[in-house]
Amino acid sequence: MRDHATRNRATLESLFEEMGGRKSEIKGLLAYTLPSKRLVEVLYALKSAGYEMLSDIFGVDWLTYPGHPSSQSGGKRFTVAYNLYHLADAHRLFVRVELDEGERLPTATGLWRCANFMEREVFDMFGVEFDGHPDLRKLLTPEDLDGHPHRKDFPIGETPTLFNDGRYLDPASFRASIIGSDSGLTGWKGGARKGVRSDQELELVDQEVTGQPGGLAK
Amino acid sequence: MTLQKSVTTVEGDAGERQGEFETRHMRVNVGPQHPSTHGVLRLVVDLDGERIAAIKPQIGYLHTGFEKTMENRTYQQCVTYSNRMDYLHGFGHDLAYVLAAEKLVDARVPVRARRIRVILNELNRIASHLVFFGTGVLDLGALTPFFYTMREREKILDIFELVSGVRMNYGYFRVGGLYRDVPEEFEPMVRAFLAHFPRMMRQYEDVFVGNKIFVDRTKGVGVIGRDDALNVGLTGPSLRASGVGLDFRKAQPYGGYEEYDFNVPTSDAGDVRARFMMRFLELDESMKIVSQALDMLEPGPVQDPDRRISLPPRSELENSMEAVIFHFKLVTEGFHPPRGEVYVPTESARGEVGYYLVSDGGSMPYRVKVRVPSLINLQALEPACIGGLFADMVANIASLDPVMGDVDK
Repeated sequence: MRDHATRNRATLESLFEEMGGRKSEIKGLLAYTLPSKRLVEVLYALKSAGYEMLSDIFGVDWLTYPGHPSSQSGGKRFTVAYNLYHLADAHRLFVRVELDEGERLPTATGLWRCANFMEREVFDMFGVEFDGHPDLRKLLTPEDLDGHPHRKDFPIGETPTLFNDGRYLDPASFRASIIGSDSGLTGWKGGARKGVRSDQELELVDQEVTGQPGGLAK
Repeated sequence: MTLQKSVTTVEGDAGERQGEFETRHMRVNVGPQHPSTHGVLRLVVDLDGERIAAIKPQIGYLHTGFEKTMENRTYQQCVTYSNRMDYLHGFGHDLAYVLAAEKLVDARVPVRARRIRVILNELNRIASHLVFFGTGVLDLGALTPFFYTMREREKILDIFELVSGVRMNYGYFRVGGLYRDVPEEFEPMVRAFLAHFPRMMRQYEDVFVGNKIFVDRTKGVGVIGRDDALNVGLTGPSLRASGVGLDFRKAQPYGGYEEYDFNVPTSDAGDVRARFMMRFLELDESMKIVSQALDMLEPGPVQDPDRRISLPPRSELENSMEAVIFHFKLVTEGFHPPRGEVYVPTESARGEVGYYLVSDGGSMPYRVKVRVPSLINLQALEPACIGGLFADMVANIASLDPVMGDVDK
C-alpha cells in the first residue's frame, strides 16, 4: 500500500515537472503551481490516480500582499487553488493556477459535480470566469451588488455601496432611514452617547451625519 | 436588496411552450421562509406529477461576509466569528480555526487544553446531532421526539454555559489554548450527563429510531451511491452513510484525537435512514471519546506559556514591566505569525471543516477561506431528490443536515 502510494506520487511528480509545474511545501501544505492551459488534463490525471475528492476551490487576491510580484509588473494577481484529497492514502494536495484580471479558466464541473458551487463562489468573490460552466451565476452576494467582495480593492466598512442599477447604499443615510424622525415605540431618536454617565448631559454626536433633528440632547 | 433571485435563470422552460398547452412540468418554489428548510433556503423544484424532475438550491440569503470580516480582525479576535457560521456545532468551527492559526504560529498547546477541547467538541457534536434528530423527525411529522432530544441538549448547553458563560457562540477556545480553565463543577456535570444519556438513547430508540412509521418513511428514500456521493463532494456522516469510511478524526488525526479509541460507523445503504442511523451511532462513539478524555484529564496549564501569543497572567502585571509591554502589544495589536499558509481539515458534525489561512506577517490574516461542509453537501440534493417524490424532499433536506449559517457564511 505504502509502496504503491509512493510510486503513484513519483509518477505524478514527473507529470508535474513535465508540465512546467512549480512545487512548494510550507508547513505540510503541498502545492503545485501549473499553467492554466493544462489544468483539466492534470485534474483528470489526479482523479484517475486516486485523488477522488475535490474538497474545495478558492481564490486568493495578492494585490496588497507585501513584496508579491503582482505589485510589480509581470506578476499575476490572482491564484485559484484546487484542494484535492486522496481517500486511500489520506493525502492532500493543492493544485494552483495563477491568472490575471480578465483571464479565464476551464471548468472542472465535467470531472466533479461539486465544482459547480465552488466555481460559482470564486466567480462571485473574485470575478474569475470559468469556460464551460453550466450555470455560472453569483452564489452568495445579491444579484445587483456590483463588484467582487473578496478582491483586496473592494471597499470595506462605512463606504457607499454601488449596486448595478445605479442605486447607492450610503451608510449614513441608511442609518438615518432606520432611526427616522419618528422613533416609534422605543423612544430612541438617534444619536450616540459619548462616554458620559446617564445623569450627565447627553451629547448628540452624529446629528450632522444623519441630518435628522431630534436625538437625546438636552 | 431584492429578494427575487430570478427564477428565469434556472435552465429549461418548465410549463410554457409557444402554441401548445404544456402541463408536464410544474415549477414549485419552496422557501426561503419555510420551516423544513432549516433556515433561509430557497429551492426551485420542477415537478413531473408527484416526482421531482429538477431541483436548484438558491442560497445567499444569510451571507454575512465572515471571511472578509476575519481578514480585518486580529488572529485572536477571529474566534468570535468562526463559531457563528455553524451555530449548532460552534466548537467544531472554533477548533478548526484555532488549529490552523496555531499551526501558523507553531503554538504548543498544553495537554489539558487539548483534552478539554476534545470533550467540548464531542459534547457539541452530540448536541448538534440531537437538534438534527429533533428537527429532522419533526419535518417528517412527528412532534414528540423534538421535546425528547431538546431535553438532553439543554443539559449539554448547561455544561457549555458553565465553562464559557454562554449557551451558543462560545468563543471559548483561544489560539494557544483556552480562555481559562474549566470550573470544578465541570467534571461531575459531564460525568452525570454520561451516566444519564445512554438511558435516554434507549428512549430515542423506542420513540423514533425503531419506530415503524419512521422506518417506512425513510428506508430506500433518497439513495446516494458511493460514486455520486464523492462526485458531489459529500463529507461527514452523510458520506459515511454512502459507504465511504472517511472521518478526519481517524484519517488525519488533529488536536489529540489519535489518543482515543473509537469506531467510525459506516453503511452501504446510502438512504435517508442510513444517514439518520450514522448520526445515531455516532452519539455512542462521541460518548466513548468524552469519557476517555475525562479519565485522562489531569491538572495543568491551559494556555501556551509563550508570551508572544498568550497574555501574561494578571499577577505579573503589577511587578513586571516586560509583562505590561507584552500585554499591551497583544491587546492593541495582536501577535504576528510568520509568512505562510496553512490548511487543517477537521471533522465537524456535518463534514469537513477547514480553515485556509494566509499570513503576510501582519497581525491580521491576509486571506481566510473556510471550507464549509453544509454548502457543498447541499449539492447532494440533486442526486438524492431527482426521480423521488416531492414529499420525500423534506426528508432529504433533513437528512443532509444543512445549517444555513454554514451554507451562506
